[in-house]
Amino acid sequence: MIGVTSRWLRVVGWLPVPSGPPAGARRRLAAWRRRIMAWQMTTTLGRRRVNGFRRTSAGIELRLPQLESTLLTELLEQVEGLLQPPPVDDPLEALVGLRDTAPPPPEDPAVARLLPDPYPDDPMASGDYRRRRTDDALARRRDAARRVLAAVPAPGTVLVLDDESAQDWLTVLNDLRLVLGTRLGLTDDESTEELDRLVPDDPRAPVAAVYNFLTELLDELTRTML
Amino acid sequence: MSVTAVSPVEVEDVEDVPEEDRLWVTIVWNDPINLMSYVTYVFRKLFGYSETKATKLMLDVHHKGRATVTSGTREEMEAAAERLHTYGLWATIAQD
Repeated sequence: MIGVTSRWLRVVGWLPVPSGPPAGARRRLAAWRRRIMAWQMTTTLGRRRVNGFRRTSAGIELRLPQLESTLLTELLEQVEGLLQPPPVDDPLEALVGLRDTAPPPPEDPAVARLLPDPYPDDPMASGDYRRRRTDDALARRRDAARRVLAAVPAPGTVLVLDDESAQDWLTVLNDLRLVLGTRLGLTDDESTEELDRLVPDDPRAPVAAVYNFLTELLDELTRTML
Repeated sequence: MSVTAVSPVEVEDVEDVPEEDRLWVTIVWNDPINLMSYVTYVFRKLFGYSETKATKLMLDVHHKGRATVTSGTREEMEAAAERLHTYGLWATIAQD
């Protein structure tokens, strides 16, 4: 089951339409895998309420079953690839590690969603902001994602969060939701409601299940902190 | 737009205030992904707002599409927007 997850569920880079149909048997096999995973995710993820975040006298505790633990680990490994700094074109700037010219706005809509433009009506200020802040903003997210990745509790173990690590979990879980939500094409409230009506055969169903799982987890963590 | 800015006791003519002295504001925009509970939490955490104020701002974002969440100098607003971005909220800044 977990092997199946790793082999095809590259959800962070996931696209709703496969780029080219694989031939015959492979295609049928892929379709079956997708159905099995969709079923597992839609029936299992987030249903076991003994798991998740809980406030105790020790702090905020997190327990995760096997599927959820593996999924989070994979998602965090994948998201790190998205958070790489844009290349520095000038060889001299690259050598000294400074950015003298603004990198272009992110091409990937998921990355663009993580790095909103604070000056949408002022291209000059916007470019200058990207030059000054992009590398830091991405590095901060990468570092937080790595810390969370290193802390994902294995099944049967308990992770206890202090205030600082709870902030990491909040922002990182939300980053994953922003990435998956963008991949799922969530642009308005209507498209979000449509998520709840997906049939298991829909290619978006497994990703939607992962998205809903992350939503529940984040909501639970937020409520323990209010 | 929601009115969260200060209400001046004396009514000033905005035109008389030199452009460089006018306040900057940070605006948070509605989006279909961020959770209401989470957005309320972020407003409380980042700006120290009461639960009532944070909830009102969150509902303004939700119903009106955007809300002005804080005001100050350009540098302060840029820093506020960046912290909101770290939490995944869609924030922009503008001169009031």
